[in-house]
Amino acid sequence: MNNINLDREASAPYYPGIKFNAETGVCEIEGESYMEEAYKFYLPIINWIKDFTEKENRKLYFNVKLMYFNTSTSKCLLDIFELLKKYTNEGGEIEVTWYYDPDDPDMIDEVKDFEREADLNFNIKELQA
Amino acid sequence: MEEKDTINHISTHLIETKRSLLAYEGPFFIDLLTIFGNYLKIMTENHSLIQKKIFKIYVELSQNVAYYAEEYITINSESKRIGIGELRITEDVDQYLLMTKNLVKTKDANVLSQRCDIINNSALEDLKYLKRELRKSSESNKLGARIGLVQARLISNNHLDFDIIEKNRHYSYFKLKVKFDKNE
Repeated sequence: MNNINLDREASAPYYPGIKFNAETGVCEIEGESYMEEAYKFYLPIINWIKDFTEKENRKLYFNVKLMYFNTSTSKCLLDIFELLKKYTNEGGEIEVTWYYDPDDPDMIDEVKDFEREADLNFNIKELQA
Repeated sequence: MEEKDTINHISTHLIETKRSLLAYEGPFFIDLLTIFGNYLKIMTENHSLIQKKIFKIYVELSQNVAYYAEEYITINSESKRIGIGELRITEDVDQYLLMTKNLVKTKDANVLSQRCDIINNSALEDLKYLKRELRKSSESNKLGARIGLVQARLISNNHLDFDIIEKNRHYSYFKLKVKFDKNE
């Protein structure tokens, strides 16, 4: 499997940075995410996770360091978490860590909503500046 | 080489008058919205908790205009449409006010009006449930404008203040105002 490496760009801050490593199983999303047609941006990312969970029988670490995401992105994140839940139901091992911005009073609620909706437990950690 | 000016801090000295932070009318291009958003972050940096809330709802409501306004431009041989609308952000001593206005079909305006009434009359816990249901039950490419309205009510902790202004038999303007209290 190929890795995914998309750096954040100052000229298009509505795209997050994405680093998915097939060798280590460490996947990280960071920055902000409010692009147009979020589902088109996230489709290859979702497909990568599908491939990993179907072909690689290894632990997947999913780290979220998003400072802001719009509701369209939140739908794509939920799709990812549902895939991860399916993987655990089939015996796969995952670890989701959500790094939240302590200056954002609503982020913890969002994270708890995702845990409830996807029926997963996250590690919730404060994002260090 | 000439040094490029960048703005990273703006001081505001407001006593009691309302003032305009931003007023725009035209197509809601995402790159333009990003510039406005960065400016908005700077203008609200003295209220860091509110800053995040305003930015979130600014993006949601602006993208509702960009995607769903009935007046729009098309680019790239009409494969992509960008909604046209109006955006105003004002500030007074106690609050920030975010306003968007765009053209909708009159029959859709009635639906929007009903949805805003339901959102305003629902308990916050019920709205959180509705938001989760909308997200879970929608297809990724058909999330719709309603979840953005629910989010605006939840994040601002204020009612949605809306107006339907008839333009002609077929079209009306949908004007939406959301307040953010500085001392929340």
